[in-house]
Amino acid sequence: MAKKAKSRASKTQKDVLDLLRKHGSRIYDDLDHGRFPNFEIPSRSVGNIVYDTKLRQYVLGKSAALRSSKNTSQLRSFTQLMWLAFFANRLTQEKKSSTLRDVYYSSQAFAIDFDDQSESDNIIVDLEAVLAKPREAMHIFPEERSSVFGDLDIEYTVPGYEGKRMNLSNHPDGYAIGPSLTSAELVGTSAELVIAVEKGGLFTRFVEEQVDKKFKSIIVDTGGQAPRSTRTLLKRLHDELSLPVIILTDGDVYGEHIAMVIKSGSANAAHLRELTVPDAKWVGVWASDIERYDLPTIPMTDSDIKRCHDLQKDPRYSHGIWKKELEVFLKIKRKAELEAFSKYGLTNITDRYLPQKIELARSL
Amino acid sequence: MAAERFNQISPSEFFYRNRDLAGFSNPTRSLYTAVREFVENSLDACDQRGILPSVRLVIRAEDPEARDPRTYVLTVHDNGPGVAVEHVPLAFGTVLYGSKFGLKQARGMFGLGATMAILYGQITTNKPVHVSSSTDGKTKDTFEILLDIQKNKPVILKHATSKARQRGLSVSITLEGDYSKAGSKIRDYVYQTSLITPYATISFEDPKGETFRYDRILKSMPPPPTVINPHPHGVDVETIRRMILESRRDLVSTGNGAADRLVRALGLKNGDAGYDVVARRVAQRWKRLSPAARLPAALATALKCSPRDLPEMTIHDIDVADDTITYHDGIAGAAKTAQLDRRQPYYSYLEEVAAGEPLQSFLTARFQRVGPRTAERFAKFAAFKPERRIGTLDNRELVRLSDSLQAYGEFLSPDPSCLAPLGQEPLRRGMAKFFEPDFLSVVMRSASAYSGFPFVVEMGIAYGGGIQTRGIKAYRFANRIPLLYDEGSDVVLKVINDMDWNRYKVKGEAPLVIATHICSTRIPYKTVGKENVADRPEIERELRLGLQFLARKLSSYMSRRGKAEAAKKRANLYAKYIPLVSQFCTELAGRKAEPKYAAMLKLEGRDG
Ligand SMILES: Nc1ncnc2c1ncn2[C@@H]1O[C@H](COP(=O)(O)OP(=O)(O)OP(=O)(O)O)[C@@H](O)[C@H]1O
Ligand SMILES: [Mg+2]
Repeated sequence: MAKKAKSRASKTQKDVLDLLRKHGSRIYDDLDHGRFPNFEIPSRSVGNIVYDTKLRQYVLGKSAALRSSKNTSQLRSFTQLMWLAFFANRLTQEKKSSTLRDVYYSSQAFAIDFDDQSESDNIIVDLEAVLAKPREAMHIFPEERSSVFGDLDIEYTVPGYEGKRMNLSNHPDGYAIGPSLTSAELVGTSAELVIAVEKGGLFTRFVEEQVDKKFKSIIVDTGGQAPRSTRTLLKRLHDELSLPVIILTDGDVYGEHIAMVIKSGSANAAHLRELTVPDAKWVGVWASDIERYDLPTIPMTDSDIKRCHDLQKDPRYSHGIWKKELEVFLKIKRKAELEAFSKYGLTNITDRYLPQKIELARSL
Repeated sequence: MAAERFNQISPSEFFYRNRDLAGFSNPTRSLYTAVREFVENSLDACDQRGILPSVRLVIRAEDPEARDPRTYVLTVHDNGPGVAVEHVPLAFGTVLYGSKFGLKQARGMFGLGATMAILYGQITTNKPVHVSSSTDGKTKDTFEILLDIQKNKPVILKHATSKARQRGLSVSITLEGDYSKAGSKIRDYVYQTSLITPYATISFEDPKGETFRYDRILKSMPPPPTVINPHPHGVDVETIRRMILESRRDLVSTGNGAADRLVRALGLKNGDAGYDVVARRVAQRWKRLSPAARLPAALATALKCSPRDLPEMTIHDIDVADDTITYHDGIAGAAKTAQLDRRQPYYSYLEEVAAGEPLQSFLTARFQRVGPRTAERFAKFAAFKPERRIGTLDNRELVRLSDSLQAYGEFLSPDPSCLAPLGQEPLRRGMAKFFEPDFLSVVMRSASAYSGFPFVVEMGIAYGGGIQTRGIKAYRFANRIPLLYDEGSDVVLKVINDMDWNRYKVKGEAPLVIATHICSTRIPYKTVGKENVADRPEIERELRLGLQFLARKLSSYMSRRGKAEAAKKRANLYAKYIPLVSQFCTELAGRKAEPKYAAMLKLEGRDG
């Protein structure tokens, strides 16, 4: 098992390096023949984002924009993109990680002027779209961190730690899902389930209550909307270790959407295909749970209601539980947080609610 | 005619009534106006004699410690022809005495500029004017003159003759002024005058001891103008009426030895003979009198005056219908009317004279570009007999004549020989030297006319280079005079502002200079101070066409420049970024040597 996993990480790296070299050679040839090189960048405009029912996620359509080095209004951003490819190549080869902000500052050493970080962030997304690889594969990570805890053995691949192993249940605060964890090999686990919770508070409670042991699970804190590195980890836990993933969120429309993004991605990342866990299951808190468990509630705000209506237009919410729960939210116009279970005692959620929901997930 | 009207009031009264109009409203403006009047007189005098002008203007504070407004001594020296001794007191001591009334372009035109300045100086400081004139370069006559304000007569305080070093004139007046306020305007004036007079050397020593000197750029003068008649187009009824009166006045002139001829023809001993004697002899000898003697004979009898007094009489009008003759009696100093006696032999003669010239000869003699054949064809066009006497035209016929003169399309275009435009080349060289622009274009329109006065518009446009102004700066000139005040109401600015500059690719605050020069025998100034030109449609049209022509030139320059700039910008961008692209892709492709892209950059830079 360990061996198989290891080859996977180096394969990702090799894929990226091959792609970069391919583009580099193409551009080199163009210049060498006196031609102005281009990049073809899949369009990320709303009109080109379509829902792929087979893949069960948003993907980009066929339209693409040409960024030409001949066009003087595109020359600058062409060069920025070119630089980023060059920089990503170095990062990947040297197995160094960097943040979005690092990228912005690094550019200055090469006389590549980004007006601000949002400009360099955009170029990063362009490169993702060109290569159809997430930035994490190019060793570029966002600042946001979320955590993981449970009986999971990993083996680092980052320079200086290569081959070093670690079990993720050794520290009760959990482990930050950063570059070194994301790129580590997943060696083995005794867990049979991954539980993703929306909130740090619940994550701590779950660790304290030994949910990992009681339910043979790996607990992941998504810290609200799950960052891409977290989604990558969830996907890898599911794909590489064949673990089912269940998701627990607050009982409101935003919670429902957090679950949906883990399951089938966001429109923002329609150009990427390695971030979704289509088999992940949202188990609560549902609108219908509010009455069933008699949870204390707060009224929905106008923006909650508007958000419900917006999501109703999204094809992914046109069937099943997703559709039904939106309708219930709109009917009762009230919402409840995960902490609401504390009304019945601090461990009520782990003692009563969670087992029922895990049971339910198995049957789905 | 105007002179006679003004003579009725005293010069000081005249001055006070007209000081605003003439530009002497306050110490600031007065100092500036005085400078202009003297400098322009010097340039006029040189122009008219074809002398390359050297003019030196000096302004000194009488008491350097005093504060503005204070007393200044203003002196202008020139190397012109000077003024003959006998004319000096009149030229500088009476209002409306001038030599420039003819139909010929000159800066001065009213015959009062110098005197107004002198009068202003005298009123504010009670000091005389000093004039020193040499017409031959050997001797000079120096005068100290005060104006007798009651009598409109010069009072000569001193007159001395001495050796001269060079020909020319210098005038010096003492006046109240405010240089701290007028200074920048005066310096502008000197600067701009040098621009439009590139064949002159002009220097200015200011009260602070600073000298501004502009050496001539050209060593040759534009051809001097000649005196000519008005063009028939655009002459209005009033002008024709005046011309008819003038033509008749020539016929009934009392000057040129008329009195002597009369004395001789009547066999009198001297001119003192009384009216009775004259009347009797005229009646006896009328039939035998020569045509030259008949006129003074008829006039003396009609006006009932002795031959001696005849030169003092100026005939205004002979009205045959009313049997009256109106005239100015120089002895009595008043306008008078006399009744004509139908029984006298002179009557039919005067009637004949009053009838005036035949239309055909009136047209050929009094208008430019009209020969006998043209006059005949025109008469037919206007439905007049060519031999019709012009003095017999009634008001309706006068209007018809005037309308026809305007409407008749066969007249040759006005003769611009009376005009003195600078010419395209001198204007171009002046502007090139002054502004050192990136782009320069000049144009001279062909001559045109308004109200019977010919005019020519020449103009230049300059862009970029040494021009630092943001937006359009207009330099307005008329008859080689810069116009600095009152720009708001001027026709040139109106035309410039009416232009849709965007259409000519002039955007935003473009560094642009426009110089316009209107040349005419009579510039339609709005005021006597000669600061802004009234908008006559004919002049406005020429200005507009000229400006459009220049703007089109500028526009094609701008698009050439725009293209070149864009190409340069592109080349710069390629030169900046492509080497970076090359560097990055070389490493990405895992190559050692960079791709050969140099030729590509060169190609782009050239093609634009
Ligand atoms: N520097 C000079 N050299 C020779 N003649 C002069 C000079 N200055 C003045 N004159 C003579 O004196 C006359 C009177 O000058 P003045 O300035 O009063 O009137 P103007 O120049 O004819 O008209 P304007 O009132 O428009 O200035 C002139 O017409 C000219 O004949
Ligand atoms: Mg004058």
